Amino acid sequence: MTESAGELFDLGYKRYEGPREGRMRARKAIFTNGVRTILGLGRSSSAKVLPIIFFVVVMAPAVVLALVASQASELDLPGHSDYYQIVSILLILFSAIIAPELLCPDRRTGVIGLYLVRPLTVTDYLAGRWLAFFSITLLLVYSGQVILLLGLTLSAESPGEYLQDNWLDVPRFLAAGFLIALFTTTLPLAISAFTTRKAYAAAFVIGIFIISSAVAGILTECEDHDRGAARGAGQCEPLTGDYAKWFGLIDVRGVTVHLSDLIFDVESTPEGSGRIAELHNIIPISTYVGMLGGLTFMLWWRYRRITV
Amino acid sequence: MTSLLKASALTKHYGSTIALESVDFEVFEGITGLLGPNGAGKSTAIKLFLGLLKPTSGTAEVSGKNPYESIESRSLLGYMPEGDCLPTGITASEFLTHMAQVSGLPPAYARTRAADILRHVGLDEERYRSIGQYSSGMKQRVKLAQALVHDPVIVLLDEPTVGLDPGGREEMLELIRRTGREFGISIILSTHLMGDVESTCERIIVLDEGRVKEAGDVSMYTKETQNIFIDVDDKRSELLTALISRGIEATIEGSSIAVVLENEVQSDAIRDAIVEVDAQLRRMGPRRQQLADIFRDDRK
Repeated sequence: MTESAGELFDLGYKRYEGPREGRMRARKAIFTNGVRTILGLGRSSSAKVLPIIFFVVVMAPAVVLALVASQASELDLPGHSDYYQIVSILLILFSAIIAPELLCPDRRTGVIGLYLVRPLTVTDYLAGRWLAFFSITLLLVYSGQVILLLGLTLSAESPGEYLQDNWLDVPRFLAAGFLIALFTTTLPLAISAFTTRKAYAAAFVIGIFIISSAVAGILTECEDHDRGAARGAGQCEPLTGDYAKWFGLIDVRGVTVHLSDLIFDVESTPEGSGRIAELHNIIPISTYVGMLGGLTFMLWWRYRRITV
Repeated sequence: MTSLLKASALTKHYGSTIALESVDFEVFEGITGLLGPNGAGKSTAIKLFLGLLKPTSGTAEVSGKNPYESIESRSLLGYMPEGDCLPTGITASEFLTHMAQVSGLPPAYARTRAADILRHVGLDEERYRSIGQYSSGMKQRVKLAQALVHDPVIVLLDEPTVGLDPGGREEMLELIRRTGREFGISIILSTHLMGDVESTCERIIVLDEGRVKEAGDVSMYTKETQNIFIDVDDKRSELLTALISRGIEATIEGSSIAVVLENEVQSDAIRDAIVEVDAQLRRMGPRRQQLADIFRDDRK
């Protein structure tokens, strides 16, 4: 008969004697938690539904374009710059709905108070949250472009030749995607800093894009008799005359899409960001940098004033 | 004994409002009560030690470090705020693991610590439930757990029993006593409930109008006095008159008669007075000093 081996466990409180990684670990934790929040990981299954839907919806245009390209390679299919035109609207929806999740609940539930008494500054917290959302947005944007690139390459008669002729598309879509993700990350986070209600933040973000686009559209709109062929050819006379190109800058999405067009070296469409094209490139670039700087300052300023 | 927290000429003004005025005190190992009425400066003192506010002048030190300037020194502290501070959509386990990492613990260690602490605060079996489904008492435990998860040197608890029913309150106080005595984590218990301090703390610091009013061992303020209290079922006013007529200094205090005993002979006089009025004696005994007396004396 063998003697049973017993073991005694001390379940009393034990002091922690492991490593302490300080502020750097805290920053990583805020980032990781942000990514998990966006993707709904560690949360209920309903929290995972929206991110999945958005991934599917943003990938769909790339998959469709890639599939069509493989079936009919002789068609003049939309390319990488056109993909950004399509997904920029979807990205706005994605950012408006998901980004507030990163900031609003922390302030509504008071968790922010627990963060700020730990080895972490407000800037660390904001940078972690911002980087989490930016990373996911970038992943989303690049994934679609990679699928599209694969589709276009594999559908070409000679994939090697296609890549040789179009290799420049890769740095271009990386750069343009970076700019689009930068803006669609910063704007909704800056707005989310001013309300504890996710729905208000989402509505405000969507409202800004719709209203800025509508106002710019009205102010750069052609006169009635110019509609039709003239407008299609980009020769119509807008209601606001020579100032129309300046009013085009009101359209925040248009400015970003125009920068993407500049990177791809394609002509912006006559409507919307098309008017911006009439300005010297430095103007939309400065507008973009100014908007981004202003939004970043708004976000930081709001959190500097938070008291626990 | 080295001090864990040290306030030296600590002053904090909000514009023309004085929250703390040249306050000096030290907090040592053990459980210390920070007592005072609303507006006494308790919350401001806590925020100064947490590094959330910059002192107008003077210093607030945590183990010799300035928490406002040294962000890293905050990992020595735990903080349980009075108000809501918990997310609703995630489990206690996930939340605590995250907070441990935000305090600087690597992920694998953070998970182990989260499980251990949740067991110590009595939420072992509930740790995979969403915090939003917890009762008030359970939420208070999670709040305490997040303050302890990184094994701080000292924990600052701000009104930890507010909103709890009597059973939950006693459980929370027991948990605080265990944290201080068994876990070896020092505690600052900021409260306006003197009963909580009397039953839990070893030392107190009493703040009033931004200044230290009293500081010392709780036993100093709760020791037996020469005075006695008398509880009778009836004829209380007759007994009071009888006592006074015998030259005894007696007053009504709540439902009791408080008597200042000047000498042994007066004990016999009290007995005679009770017999004379034929009052039903319920209780009689030496009166302990109470922390409330600190404020009562002030009002006189």
